[in-house]
Amino acid sequence: MRKGQFALAALTAILISGNGFAADMNKVLHVAFNAPETGFDPAKISDQYSSSIVENIFDPLITYDYLARPVKLIPNTTEAMPTISKDGKVYTFHLKHGIYFADDPAFGGKKRELVAEDYAYSIKRLLDPTINSPYSFLVNGRFVGGDELVAKAGKNTLDYNAPLEGIKTLDKYTLQLTLKETNFNMTYILSMPVFGAVAREVIEANAANTMAHPVGTGPYLLKEWKPGTKMVLEANPNYRKDVFNFAPSKDAIDAGIIKAMKGKTLPCIGRVEVSIIEEEQPTWLAFLEKQLDISGIPQPALQEALVIDPKDPTKATLNPKYAKMGIQHQRYKLQEVTYTYFNMDDSVVGGDSKEKLALRRAIAMAFPRSETIAAIRRGQAVPVNYMIPEGVGGHNPNFKGAAEYDPAKANALLDKFGYKKGADGWRVQPNGKPLSIEYATGSAAIDKQWNEYWQKAFDSLKIHVTWKVGKWNELDKEARQSKLQMWGLAWGADYPDGDNFMMLLYGKNAGDVNYANFKNAEYDKLFESSLKLPDGPERNKLYDQMNKIVVAQQPWIFGDTRVRNTLAQPYVKGFKIHPIVNTTWRYIDLQK
Amino acid sequence: MFAYIIRRVLQMIPTIFGVMLLLFILFNWVGGDPSYILAGKSMNATTLANIRAQLGLDKSQFAQFLIFVKQVATLNFGISWSNQQPVSSILAARVGPSVTLTGFIMLVSTVLSISMASLVAYVRGSLTDRMVTLICTTAMSVSALVYIIAGQFWLAHKLGWFPVLGWGDSFAKNLVTYLPLPVLLGVIVSLAPDLRFYRSCFVEEMNHDYVRTARAKGLSEPKIMLKHVMRNALIPVVTSIMMSLPYLLVGALLLETFFAIPGMGREVIMAVDKSDFPVIKAITIYIAILTMIFNLLADIVYKLIDPRVQLK
Repeated sequence: MRKGQFALAALTAILISGNGFAADMNKVLHVAFNAPETGFDPAKISDQYSSSIVENIFDPLITYDYLARPVKLIPNTTEAMPTISKDGKVYTFHLKHGIYFADDPAFGGKKRELVAEDYAYSIKRLLDPTINSPYSFLVNGRFVGGDELVAKAGKNTLDYNAPLEGIKTLDKYTLQLTLKETNFNMTYILSMPVFGAVAREVIEANAANTMAHPVGTGPYLLKEWKPGTKMVLEANPNYRKDVFNFAPSKDAIDAGIIKAMKGKTLPCIGRVEVSIIEEEQPTWLAFLEKQLDISGIPQPALQEALVIDPKDPTKATLNPKYAKMGIQHQRYKLQEVTYTYFNMDDSVVGGDSKEKLALRRAIAMAFPRSETIAAIRRGQAVPVNYMIPEGVGGHNPNFKGAAEYDPAKANALLDKFGYKKGADGWRVQPNGKPLSIEYATGSAAIDKQWNEYWQKAFDSLKIHVTWKVGKWNELDKEARQSKLQMWGLAWGADYPDGDNFMMLLYGKNAGDVNYANFKNAEYDKLFESSLKLPDGPERNKLYDQMNKIVVAQQPWIFGDTRVRNTLAQPYVKGFKIHPIVNTTWRYIDLQK
Repeated sequence: MFAYIIRRVLQMIPTIFGVMLLLFILFNWVGGDPSYILAGKSMNATTLANIRAQLGLDKSQFAQFLIFVKQVATLNFGISWSNQQPVSSILAARVGPSVTLTGFIMLVSTVLSISMASLVAYVRGSLTDRMVTLICTTAMSVSALVYIIAGQFWLAHKLGWFPVLGWGDSFAKNLVTYLPLPVLLGVIVSLAPDLRFYRSCFVEEMNHDYVRTARAKGLSEPKIMLKHVMRNALIPVVTSIMMSLPYLLVGALLLETFFAIPGMGREVIMAVDKSDFPVIKAITIYIAILTMIFNLLADIVYKLIDPRVQLK
């Protein structure tokens, strides 16, 4: 019965639209997220899990080439990449004709074509004060006339009908964005799933619950949603003809992917079932029992799943017993940095004086980063030495910014700058006041593991450490209110460009993403200059100078970048991890 | 009895009010600020203020409490702060799996533990009794997590007797395919403490004079056990079961998490993690109401079991 329904739906879709619907509705991909999603309104989400669904339902203007490495942007719903004015301020996009939204009652039974106005509306939604978009920071202050329109709205809904110079349509299929300042990263930003096109009539018809009614032009539509439990996507019958026609990169696996997928109409898989499995053992066992088709390797299973080179744990191959089964293994470094920040406004660890700098440097030198990579990350991480991680525009692999682990030198440094040991053997501040540092931490088992190493570091320096244990949102609140002294964080790339990382210490972002409250006039000046430059040697020079300032001032202790290991069953064809795109379901096939 | 029930129902009102007050104070004290979760990676004071206004957190504490009172009176807790879905639909979707899972565990565990408890109580002091007590004590000293991890690994993965995890839309399929292993593990976890408790109830009753008198009258042992001992021993058993029933709603967190069962346990944890007060409020109030209802039912059942019990 079900197969019949699927076949009828597919046939009807093809007859009506003349599109390239070719998905096999009997092919069901089973995958899992390890944390719950929140919903599917592109303007309202910020978590990776919701974004993973949204990117399959909505279409941004531009997207990434599936196979190209380093990553490369390509047109998605546009005829070509945008034309960009010489000053990097005006972006013009020409949309392809004949792209249609998935059917929805809001369209009154008619097929609804994607037009430039949909993108204008969707981008404006990120500015809307009533939506409170988590990604509003990407658009606030960006477009000509945008600030004025937002100010006029106050706490009310943005006037979407008011003309806005910065976001306007030149004709039905042409969108023009005009920026206040030069910015060559706008294409990266606009390729994010949150910039997918929504239809105004659908949003307005479902205004009370836009999170549950995603209707886009992407390869899939949301068939079922049980919040925090299960999501089912089905191939969108209205999806445009999209043929797998990517050129291979230098990666060895690309030849096999091309062989399996070239010329196929996408998506091949008719149904994707996404479960939420929070625990690591069931995730791993479910994959081994083929209840999941693609899965990461949970941390506890790394030793069993991989053969890790003891001399270089970052070199790891799949355990032969799984390789013989045909299981596919792929690994890549996440585009992230982890770091521990010092609150530069704090009276004990912050400030520019030499003794404060010495304290920060000593703590950085006492932290055994290689031990945490070996023990906690099980070797599946590499040290961070530059604010921008590998694979992101502006990264400098030759820059060694992390403090060298040397507790003896760290102690000598503290001795030199007046952090003397008291009668009880513990150090005091140069002014004679007791020295105790409070480190913010969560309460999970993994946090306790990290704290053991921090305890060891502080003990080696004879500095008292206390723990401020809290839920993430409470610590985040206190951090932004400048109430924490130290806290460890991670930042993943929103888009693969250096400014997404260098902004983390920009003075104007203090109290926001600049948790360290680092305010350095020279750094800020260099950052502002870097924003006006495209990715290239000239901008890299500025980034190097900024990193030198960070090394000198030590607002951060560099952490590590994790290596993600992902497995796919033998029958999953065309599978390749993409560093930016969360899911690649539309590009793969199942041949059981 | 009717007057008693009316009186008890009226007593529920101040109790619920007390629960609401306590919950409200606790959440505002240690519940966390949800605006910092909803604002995402980057935020500013305006965004935070807008979110707080939309959630009603900018209102006075008194006004917020009044809204809470209204929500309880109408049993309409609004929408979840974390995913903006109606709380009622979230709970409605999750209560079924939880009650199915914990209900079956409770049913099987209660039947088994009462049967076994009456048998070992009957042979109290024997090698069998001592062995059962020893096994129960040992079993109780092992964490529930160990049973779940080991059971899933060996019974599902290594032996392949059950699926590793899963939950479907069909009750029949859940019952036949997905429920057996989590129910089995749930029963293993709860059997030992229940059995020990019920055994002590039976042993205590069997030591009473009326049992000796019954034997002296020449009544058969099955009649003594089933008609006399069982009836009296059931009062603490009923108390224990009635006290457990409201928590069927909360589900079994570990089992739900390990077997990907979309139950209440996971929802409770998610709500606490995300400071999702509407969901926390709804679950707490429903549990409080159910606890009071089952307390009342327990009292009525006492009366049915033992007519000497007076409801005043």
